[in-house]
Amino acid sequence: MPENEQIADKRDGGGKIKKQSSGRQLVVTVFLLALATKMFLLPIFLIRAAGRDGYIVLAIGAGIDLLSLGAMLAAMFMSKDTDFFTMLESVIGKIATKIVIVLFTLFLFFKMNIAANETLTFYSDNVFAEFDSAIMVIVLLIFLAAVANHTLRALCRLNELLVPLVVVGIGILIAITAVTGFDFGNIMPTMRKPSEFGDAVTRHGSWLGDFTPLALFIGRTDLKKRTAVAASVSGVIGTSVVLFFSMVMCAAFGNLPTYVDSTTNISNILQFSVGNVYGRIDLFSSILWSVAAFVETALFFYATCRCVAYVIGRNSHFGIALGVCAATYFTQVFAMSDPTIFSLLMSNRWTSAISLAFTVAVPSAAVLCGAISARRGQKTAVKDNG
Amino acid sequence: MKEAERILERFETPESVVSREIKCGAVRGALIVHPDLSEGETVRAVMFALERDGSRSLKTLEELERYALFECETSISENIDECIENLLSGDVLLCVEGDERYLVVNARSYTTRSIMEPPTETVMRGPREGFIEDLKTNLSLLERRLKSPDFAVVKTTVGRRTKTGVAICYIASVAEPSVVKKIKKRIEKIDVDGIVDSHYLVPYLEENPLSLFSQVGLSEKPDVVAAKLLEGRVALIVDGSPIVVTVPFLMIEDFQAGEDYYQRSTFATFVRLLRYLGLMLAALLPALYVALQNFHYTLIPVRFMITLMAAVKGLPLSPLAETLFVLLLFEIIREASVRMPRAVGMAMSIVGALVLGETAVNAGLISSPAVMVTALSSIALFTVPNLIGTTSVLRILYTVAGGLCGLFGLILSVLFTLHYVCSMNAYDTPYLAPFAPLVYSDFKDAIERAPLQSFKKRPKSLPNINPTRMG
Repeated sequence: MPENEQIADKRDGGGKIKKQSSGRQLVVTVFLLALATKMFLLPIFLIRAAGRDGYIVLAIGAGIDLLSLGAMLAAMFMSKDTDFFTMLESVIGKIATKIVIVLFTLFLFFKMNIAANETLTFYSDNVFAEFDSAIMVIVLLIFLAAVANHTLRALCRLNELLVPLVVVGIGILIAITAVTGFDFGNIMPTMRKPSEFGDAVTRHGSWLGDFTPLALFIGRTDLKKRTAVAASVSGVIGTSVVLFFSMVMCAAFGNLPTYVDSTTNISNILQFSVGNVYGRIDLFSSILWSVAAFVETALFFYATCRCVAYVIGRNSHFGIALGVCAATYFTQVFAMSDPTIFSLLMSNRWTSAISLAFTVAVPSAAVLCGAISARRGQKTAVKDNG
Repeated sequence: MKEAERILERFETPESVVSREIKCGAVRGALIVHPDLSEGETVRAVMFALERDGSRSLKTLEELERYALFECETSISENIDECIENLLSGDVLLCVEGDERYLVVNARSYTTRSIMEPPTETVMRGPREGFIEDLKTNLSLLERRLKSPDFAVVKTTVGRRTKTGVAICYIASVAEPSVVKKIKKRIEKIDVDGIVDSHYLVPYLEENPLSLFSQVGLSEKPDVVAAKLLEGRVALIVDGSPIVVTVPFLMIEDFQAGEDYYQRSTFATFVRLLRYLGLMLAALLPALYVALQNFHYTLIPVRFMITLMAAVKGLPLSPLAETLFVLLLFEIIREASVRMPRAVGMAMSIVGALVLGETAVNAGLISSPAVMVTALSSIALFTVPNLIGTTSVLRILYTVAGGLCGLFGLILSVLFTLHYVCSMNAYDTPYLAPFAPLVYSDFKDAIERAPLQSFKKRPKSLPNINPTRMG
């Protein structure tokens, strides 16, 4: 990865900006990733699959994601100066790394498309009466291309700026849920078929792996123990918020899974509690939340572009971004809009299994390579010291 | 005398310069003066001094400088280009027969306006002094406020033909040396035939001159510039310009006014919050109005929507076209009011705002909510005067995005802008600090204006070598 891609906002003794990411930037990025896309379509699929117990399935999936977050943080802790690509190269060699990164790129591209599609679906089905996805996706791609054309540092700073907005959105939604007399009567799970929870998780594995783009932070983060703890806590808080709203959704629609469609989300449920006296304040809040989804999409897009740059060995960011934009446009307009392909990608066992494999493999590989690199480093240090 | 001829022959119109042969001590010499630029009193004093001491046996320029003109600010130069430059700046040149060097005597005199309150930065309380067009006066205004031996002033000239004086000012024990070095290097690198104002320097100092956002600070007030120097910034004063440029620059500086520091902190904080709100209203209100009306009318509260629907019923223009029309109308009126003579400007405002607006609403061309939204947005625009240009362009772009792609387009275009400003860095200073990256300790002069005694440290967002301000 080129040097100017490094994220940083701390100064060294000479007043220059340090080429490391700040811990705070990592913490807020983890928070946004934990919140981003699990709230839009996933609860609908899980309610259909497990009814009132849907949020338990989500909790299992979120648990896997949190474990992968822990592994990523451990890898960052072990490798403070070596980036993900160099770390892999030092352990498995250059050619094998390129092959691994090609596969990783495909996964990131897939995840980015899911995130983009989730957001587009949320807007088309909830916010707009008429929504031309073929046009709207261009607007999204312009933003994504701009992100990929700048540094990761810029995106991290944007995350710092947006977190308060997202928190306000969530705060309003929680307040509406708590104050307006929402019926929590159905919130307890039925636990009718617990054996099927695992099956539901493996069927919806495409939604997992939200923390995999953090691989780009490895070797570029000023990670202290305190920061690692804070990042883990922010991941848990983000996941808890998602779980809380999923519980609310499962309580509202868990007994009526056939009535659930893409317009079923926390916003629409809360609308019944608030009415329209103050306008759709619930939808405004969800729109604020959707900013997190844009950021997650952007991070996946950025990671895809940087992986492509590594594989082809070029740093023409604009050209690569254009290429990935074209591929994304094609996928969104011609593939994701087709219900068969959409269902194949979203809830097919095979795609789900592949996605789940990456969710586990990427952090595991990062930890393993980090440990090996750290060990080698220690040995070299011992040798150098005589 | 050939020494004087050497100077005169360089002029296209030598008659604009006066050369008088005189007796300098024991030798013959010549006095060369530009009568339009030199102060007559000083020229006369030089002549008297030479005459008074004519009886002495002074032979060389050094002797004349030491004994005859000891009261004057003098220097000896053999560089003819430099001498011509000095002559054109108002200095008197003295040469003696057989010596190729020239004695330069400072006799500069400019007609300058007196120090007055700058019209762009008026204050209710606080100093009313403003910079003027004279470099020396401007420097003295700063030096009077910074009586420190650390206050460094590096003078240079920019422009092959104009040779405009530029003073680079900083406090050596506070400003980051690498930043000062970078600025000096950029100024040295400027190769242009002339600069006539400090704004000519701006593109050379900015990292991205094509950007919509200004990356340098501009001020007409010495108290403001002195405060910025104390935070570790570097100021550039250009001869002939009352506007002083300061770098590095943070976007929050656009929200800070000099008067904030002369008011009670609670009120200053309130006013500052109003400015942030004002900017958001200015940039986003027309876009939100168009997006909600075009695509998301269900998001509007029912009672409000009924009123709105009644007002826009039967309009020939779409909400986007209508709002763009009103925005454009406002921009034209504003531009015309600024360019027109003051007396006509008043009439212009009445015709533009009252007659045009009122008639257009009555004629059913535009709706009163659109006029109200634009008026509110335009008033809000002036709460942050430094960002008027930027916000004017942005609100039109946002309105188009909101009108064509609704909230989806509006949010993405705002994210695009925020991401862009987040990516901006100049002189190792993140443009959006202390918000992105978050620097909590600098919040006391960002969103709020904390009591002045709490500013114990200099801003961390800016590079400086001496973080302690107090204690």
